[in-house]
Amino acid sequence: MKINTSRFGTLTLKEEKIIHMPAGMLGFPDRKRFVILKHREDSPFFWYQSVDDPDLAFVITSPFLFHPEYDVDLTEALKGMSWDPVKKDVILLYVVVTIPRGCPHKMTGNFIGPIIVNLEKSQAVQTVIANSPYTHNYPLMQAKEKNQTSHHPG
Amino acid sequence: MLILTRKLGEQITIGDDITITLLEVKGTQVKLGIAAPKDISIHRKEIYERIREENLRSSQVDPLDLSEAASIVTSVIKKEGESED
Repeated sequence: MKINTSRFGTLTLKEEKIIHMPAGMLGFPDRKRFVILKHREDSPFFWYQSVDDPDLAFVITSPFLFHPEYDVDLTEALKGMSWDPVKKDVILLYVVVTIPRGCPHKMTGNFIGPIIVNLEKSQAVQTVIANSPYTHNYPLMQAKEKNQTSHHPG
Repeated sequence: MLILTRKLGEQITIGDDITITLLEVKGTQVKLGIAAPKDISIHRKEIYERIREENLRSSQVDPLDLSEAASIVTSVIKKEGESED
Protein backbone atom coordinates (compact mmCIF):
# COMPACT_ATOMS: atom_id res chain seq x y z
CA MET A 1 0.00 0.00 0.00
CA LYS A 2 1.02 3.61 -0.46
CA ILE A 3 1.36 6.09 2.36
CA ASN A 4 1.97 9.80 2.09
CA THR A 5 4.58 11.44 4.30
CA SER A 6 5.78 15.01 4.40
CA ARG A 7 9.37 13.99 5.19
CA PHE A 8 9.87 11.04 2.87
CA GLY A 9 7.36 11.57 0.08
CA THR A 10 5.09 8.69 -0.94
CA LEU A 11 6.19 5.31 0.38
CA THR A 12 5.10 1.93 -0.90
CA LEU A 13 4.95 -0.58 1.92
CA LYS A 14 3.68 -4.06 2.50
CA GLU A 15 0.48 -4.13 4.52
CA GLU A 16 2.14 -6.30 7.20
CA LYS A 17 4.68 -3.57 7.93
CA ILE A 18 1.93 -1.49 9.48
CA ILE A 19 1.85 -1.42 13.26
CA HIS A 20 -1.48 -0.87 14.93
CA MET A 21 -1.70 1.10 18.15
CA PRO A 22 -5.20 0.77 19.62
CA ALA A 23 -4.54 3.66 22.03
CA GLY A 24 -2.19 5.64 19.79
CA MET A 25 0.78 7.56 21.17
CA LEU A 26 0.22 9.60 24.33
CA GLY A 27 -1.16 12.97 23.27
CA PHE A 28 -1.98 11.63 19.79
CA PRO A 29 -4.85 9.20 20.44
CA ASP A 30 -6.35 9.49 16.94
CA ARG A 31 -3.28 8.27 15.07
CA LYS A 32 -3.40 4.51 15.36
CA ARG A 33 -1.26 3.16 12.50
CA PHE A 34 2.49 3.55 12.16
CA VAL A 35 5.47 2.24 10.26
CA ILE A 36 9.07 2.03 11.46
CA LEU A 37 11.51 3.51 8.96
CA LYS A 38 15.26 3.27 9.29
CA HIS A 39 16.69 6.77 9.61
CA ARG A 40 19.63 5.86 7.37
CA GLU A 41 22.32 3.23 7.14
CA ASP A 42 24.53 3.13 10.25
CA SER A 43 22.14 5.34 12.22
CA PRO A 44 20.86 4.12 15.58
CA PHE A 45 17.59 5.97 15.01
CA PHE A 46 14.30 5.18 13.35
CA TRP A 47 11.36 7.30 12.30
CA TYR A 48 8.04 6.17 13.71
CA GLN A 49 5.89 7.50 10.90
CA SER A 50 2.12 7.83 11.17
CA VAL A 51 0.25 6.18 8.31
CA ASP A 52 -2.75 8.46 8.78
CA ASP A 53 -0.97 11.80 9.20
CA PRO A 54 1.77 12.63 6.68
CA ASP A 55 3.24 15.28 9.00
CA LEU A 56 3.49 13.11 12.09
CA ALA A 57 6.68 11.15 12.73
CA PHE A 58 8.50 10.49 15.99
CA VAL A 59 12.17 9.65 16.41
CA ILE A 60 12.82 6.37 18.21
CA THR A 61 15.77 4.20 19.10
CA SER A 62 16.65 1.06 21.01
CA PRO A 63 17.06 1.80 24.72
CA PHE A 64 19.60 -1.02 25.08
CA LEU A 65 22.13 0.68 22.86
CA PHE A 66 22.39 3.47 25.42
CA HIS A 67 21.45 1.61 28.57
CA PRO A 68 22.31 -2.10 28.26
CA GLU A 69 20.79 -2.83 31.69
CA TYR A 70 17.50 -1.10 30.90
CA ASP A 71 14.89 -3.31 32.45
CA VAL A 72 11.20 -2.58 32.70
CA ASP A 73 8.31 -4.66 33.89
CA LEU A 74 6.05 -5.15 30.90
CA THR A 75 3.57 -7.48 32.57
CA GLU A 76 0.81 -4.91 32.88
CA ALA A 77 1.27 -3.55 29.37
CA LEU A 78 1.23 -7.05 27.87
CA LYS A 79 -1.88 -7.91 29.84
CA GLY A 80 -3.53 -4.67 28.77
CA MET A 81 -2.95 -5.61 25.14
CA SER A 82 -4.09 -9.23 25.73
CA TRP A 83 -0.75 -10.41 24.39
CA ASP A 84 -0.13 -13.05 26.99
CA PRO A 85 1.41 -15.52 26.77
CA VAL A 86 3.96 -13.80 24.61
CA LYS A 87 7.28 -15.00 23.26
CA LYS A 88 10.18 -12.73 24.11
CA ASP A 89 11.59 -12.62 20.60
CA VAL A 90 8.44 -11.12 19.08
CA ILE A 91 8.63 -8.11 21.39
CA LEU A 92 10.63 -5.02 20.42
CA LEU A 93 11.25 -2.09 22.71
CA TYR A 94 11.87 1.48 21.58
CA VAL A 95 12.22 4.79 23.38
CA VAL A 96 11.11 8.14 22.00
CA VAL A 97 13.99 10.50 21.26
CA THR A 98 14.01 14.27 21.57
CA ILE A 99 16.69 16.57 20.15
CA PRO A 100 16.64 20.25 21.11
CA ARG A 101 16.90 22.37 17.97
CA GLY A 102 20.52 22.96 17.00
CA CYS A 103 21.87 20.91 19.92
CA PRO A 104 22.14 17.32 18.67
CA HIS A 105 24.56 16.37 21.44
CA LYS A 106 21.77 17.15 23.92
CA MET A 107 19.57 14.35 22.58
CA THR A 108 17.51 12.56 25.21
CA GLY A 109 15.46 9.40 25.35
CA ASN A 110 12.18 8.98 27.20
CA PHE A 111 12.86 5.90 29.30
CA ILE A 112 9.55 6.03 31.18
CA GLY A 113 7.36 5.91 28.07
CA PRO A 114 8.72 3.08 25.90
CA ILE A 115 6.92 1.80 22.83
CA ILE A 116 6.39 -1.96 22.99
CA VAL A 117 5.97 -3.58 19.58
CA ASN A 118 4.57 -7.07 19.11
CA LEU A 119 5.87 -8.22 15.73
CA GLU A 120 3.65 -11.28 15.62
CA LYS A 121 0.48 -9.24 16.04
CA SER A 122 1.74 -6.09 14.29
CA GLN A 123 0.54 -4.13 17.29
CA ALA A 124 2.17 -1.65 19.62
CA VAL A 125 1.50 0.28 22.78
CA GLN A 126 3.23 3.19 24.44
CA THR A 127 3.36 2.26 28.05
CA VAL A 128 3.98 4.34 31.15
CA ILE A 129 6.63 3.08 33.55
CA ALA A 130 5.75 4.33 37.01
CA ASN A 131 7.93 4.03 40.10
CA SER A 132 11.12 3.35 38.18
CA PRO A 133 14.65 4.74 38.43
CA TYR A 134 14.38 5.99 34.84
CA THR A 135 13.55 9.47 33.55
CA HIS A 136 11.66 11.02 30.64
CA ASN A 137 14.77 12.87 29.46
CA TYR A 138 17.70 10.51 29.82
CA PRO A 139 20.75 12.10 28.13
CA LEU A 140 21.78 9.59 25.47
CA MET A 141 25.30 10.88 24.84
CA GLN A 142 26.12 11.15 28.49
CA ALA A 143 24.96 7.55 28.84
CA LYS A 144 27.18 6.38 25.99
CA GLU A 145 30.20 8.23 27.30
CA LYS A 146 29.61 6.97 30.82
CA ASN A 147 29.41 3.39 29.53
CA GLN A 148 32.59 3.94 27.60
CA THR A 149 34.59 5.12 30.61
CA SER A 150 33.19 2.42 32.88
CA HIS A 151 34.20 -0.25 30.35
CA HIS A 152 37.69 1.18 29.98
CA PRO A 153 38.81 2.75 33.23
CA GLY A 154 41.84 4.99 32.93
CA MET B 1 -16.57 19.54 38.09
CA LEU B 2 -18.79 16.86 39.60
CA ILE B 3 -17.81 16.15 43.18
CA LEU B 4 -18.87 12.90 44.85
CA THR B 5 -18.21 11.65 48.37
CA ARG B 6 -17.44 7.94 48.67
CA LYS B 7 -16.69 5.53 51.48
CA LEU B 8 -14.04 2.81 51.46
CA GLY B 9 -14.99 0.06 49.02
CA GLU B 10 -17.64 2.15 47.28
CA GLN B 11 -17.58 2.72 43.57
CA ILE B 12 -18.21 5.28 40.86
CA THR B 13 -19.19 4.36 37.32
CA ILE B 14 -18.38 6.49 34.28
CA GLY B 15 -20.37 5.60 31.19
CA ASP B 16 -21.15 1.91 30.75
CA ASP B 17 -17.62 0.56 30.89
CA ILE B 18 -15.61 2.37 33.54
CA THR B 19 -15.71 1.63 37.26
CA ILE B 20 -13.58 3.30 39.91
CA THR B 21 -13.29 1.69 43.33
CA LEU B 22 -11.96 3.41 46.45
CA LEU B 23 -9.61 0.74 47.80
CA GLU B 24 -7.65 2.37 50.57
CA VAL B 25 -7.25 5.67 52.42
CA LYS B 26 -4.02 6.25 54.30
CA GLY B 27 -3.36 9.79 55.52
CA THR B 28 -3.15 11.98 52.42
CA GLN B 29 -2.91 8.97 50.09
CA VAL B 30 -5.87 7.38 48.39
CA LYS B 31 -5.66 4.10 46.49
CA LEU B 32 -8.06 3.74 43.56
CA GLY B 33 -8.89 0.70 41.47
CA ILE B 34 -9.95 1.52 37.93
CA ALA B 35 -11.60 -0.94 35.57
CA ALA B 36 -11.94 0.26 31.99
CA PRO B 37 -11.81 -1.06 28.42
CA LYS B 38 -8.24 -1.52 27.19
CA ASP B 39 -8.48 1.15 24.50
CA ILE B 40 -8.87 3.74 27.25
CA SER B 41 -5.49 4.72 28.62
CA ILE B 42 -5.26 5.57 32.29
CA HIS B 43 -2.22 7.27 33.73
CA ARG B 44 -0.94 9.31 36.63
CA LYS B 45 -1.48 12.83 35.34
CA GLU B 46 2.01 14.27 35.94
CA ILE B 47 3.76 11.33 34.26
CA TYR B 48 1.27 11.37 31.40
CA GLU B 49 1.99 15.07 30.81
CA ARG B 50 5.74 14.47 30.70
CA ILE B 51 5.46 11.67 28.18
CA ARG B 52 2.99 13.63 26.07
CA GLU B 53 5.42 16.55 25.98
CA GLU B 54 8.36 14.33 24.99
CA ASN B 55 6.23 12.81 22.22
CA LEU B 56 5.35 16.27 20.94
CA ARG B 57 9.01 17.35 21.00
CA SER B 58 10.08 14.16 19.26
CA SER B 59 7.58 14.85 16.47
CA GLN B 60 9.28 18.23 15.92
CA VAL B 61 12.87 17.01 15.66
CA ASP B 62 14.75 18.71 12.85
CA PRO B 63 16.04 16.08 10.37
CA LEU B 64 19.37 17.92 10.19
CA ASP B 65 19.79 17.65 13.96
CA LEU B 66 18.89 13.97 13.75
CA SER B 67 21.56 13.35 11.11
CA GLU B 68 24.08 15.13 13.27
CA ALA B 69 22.97 13.17 16.36
CA ALA B 70 23.30 9.90 14.44
CA SER B 71 26.85 10.80 13.43
CA ILE B 72 27.76 11.66 17.02
CA VAL B 73 26.43 8.33 18.32
CA THR B 74 28.01 6.35 15.49
CA SER B 75 31.43 7.86 16.11
CA VAL B 76 31.24 6.99 19.83
CA ILE B 77 30.18 3.42 19.01
CA LYS B 78 33.05 3.15 16.54
CA LYS B 79 35.50 4.35 19.18
CA GLU B 80 34.11 1.76 21.59
CA GLY B 81 34.63 -0.97 19.01
CA GLU B 82 38.19 0.13 18.32
CA SER B 83 39.22 0.24 21.96
CA GLU B 84 37.75 -3.22 22.50
CA ASP B 85 39.83 -4.76 19.68
